[in-house]
Amino acid sequence: MSDHSHDNHHVNYRLIFIVLVVCSILSFVFDKISLTPKVTLVLVLAVACTKAMCVMMYFMHLKFEGNWKYVLLAPTTILAIGLPVALFPDIGASYYTSIAPQTTTWKSENDEFKAHHTTSMEGEPAPAEPQG
Amino acid sequence: MSHTPQPSALKMGIPIPNSKLGLWLFLGTEIMFFTAFIGSYIVLRMGSPGWPTDYDDTHISVGAGFINTCVLILSSYFVVVAHEAMAQKNFKKANMYLWGTMILAFVFLGIKGYEYRGKIVHDILPGRIAETPTAAIKKASRELEKVVRKRFEQYTDRGVVVTTQPTNIVEIVNLIQALPDSKPPEGIDAELFSDFQKTAPIDVDLYKKWMDLHQHIVANVSLKLPADTAAYLASRESLKEGEKPPVLEFDEVKAYIAELKKNPDYGADVTKAVNELHPMVYGNIFASCYFLMTGFHAIHVIVGMILFGVVLKQGSGLNEKWTDFVENSGLYWHFVDLVWIFLFPLLYIIDFT
Repeated sequence: MSDHSHDNHHVNYRLIFIVLVVCSILSFVFDKISLTPKVTLVLVLAVACTKAMCVMMYFMHLKFEGNWKYVLLAPTTILAIGLPVALFPDIGASYYTSIAPQTTTWKSENDEFKAHHTTSMEGEPAPAEPQG
Repeated sequence: MSHTPQPSALKMGIPIPNSKLGLWLFLGTEIMFFTAFIGSYIVLRMGSPGWPTDYDDTHISVGAGFINTCVLILSSYFVVVAHEAMAQKNFKKANMYLWGTMILAFVFLGIKGYEYRGKIVHDILPGRIAETPTAAIKKASRELEKVVRKRFEQYTDRGVVVTTQPTNIVEIVNLIQALPDSKPPEGIDAELFSDFQKTAPIDVDLYKKWMDLHQHIVANVSLKLPADTAAYLASRESLKEGEKPPVLEFDEVKAYIAELKKNPDYGADVTKAVNELHPMVYGNIFASCYFLMTGFHAIHVIVGMILFGVVLKQGSGLNEKWTDFVENSGLYWHFVDLVWIFLFPLLYIIDFT
């Protein structure tokens, strides 16, 4: 038999579910209304973290578990944050001119192509392209 | 009891069943597994000078992602209710809610399959995306060559055309061109031969169309100028010193392929094999990241479904011995939901400019 001491803590799962759905709708709305990319990023990631905490604390019952959860999740968190941080200076940041073909040998061809083939994102009709 | 039970002096360890501890350790490793991919995606996208974001390029639908998010959240809720029911020994209710979770998992995979189909139809696959207009043109020519070779294979496979060099397309086309005026080889049915005699001019025509395009690509000369050597050299006579003939344009190749697709004889084959010309710079790294993350997530969803399948297989025989299994399956499923909660904004919404 397993110890289910946390059964005494009654969680209103329906309420948590509604909170999760509202958060999902919020992130969908943040995408549809045009905000600057940075603001959208902060808001949407904040919503994602809120949802994650709801799922972890209540659905996965971590709020009512003992301190072992920290021991378990500490190495995970270290790696989760550490890996992007470690890779960022080499791959994520750019101190030097990129020499990838996309930015050197192909750049002029792609810029010229883009100039003549804009999508209709700005409301302008795209130039009449032949079917195919 | 209203306090967390402390382990007695004789019994060490934390007061949870071994299976739950084991699963949490596993989830710890799984979190590291996914943060490796998600972390790499974030870092690659931040470091990349560009990334495809238009719907015309990526075919990523935020609506489909949003529906999938809601589906997974609802399925997590069902799992939690099922676990509660197991604790209350209401096994019928637990069974019902677990079936609900299973069905929602199928819905999730169905929507994911629909999204993947959209990508495959546009050939948005890692390593297969042309990143410049020239690459797109050359890719279309390669795909057209495949159609020509496949159609020629019909002749060599059936023995209608006999050759010692099955990959020498020039020799084969000469033999096929000579078909209407030749007799069937030994052992070939006369009716079959006459059928192939009828299709020979069509396939030779397709070959000529492909070779025409190919030569224009190699010489980088506009399709407005003829490929025929004599006519081409004659058209160059009018050029002044230092002047070059007009180069091959992306739009005219696109129109050329569109014309081929309309042909009543071979149009269907060309439409199936030659994908739309749509160069997408930084497209391949986008496709790699997208399929890596969503693919592994989908595999984890399938594993979760197997876990639930084991429980559902018990049917009415579900009893309290299964409480721990259901709780652990539920924990795994919540983890799958957690990963999706982060994948959805990162892949569908955020723009790392």
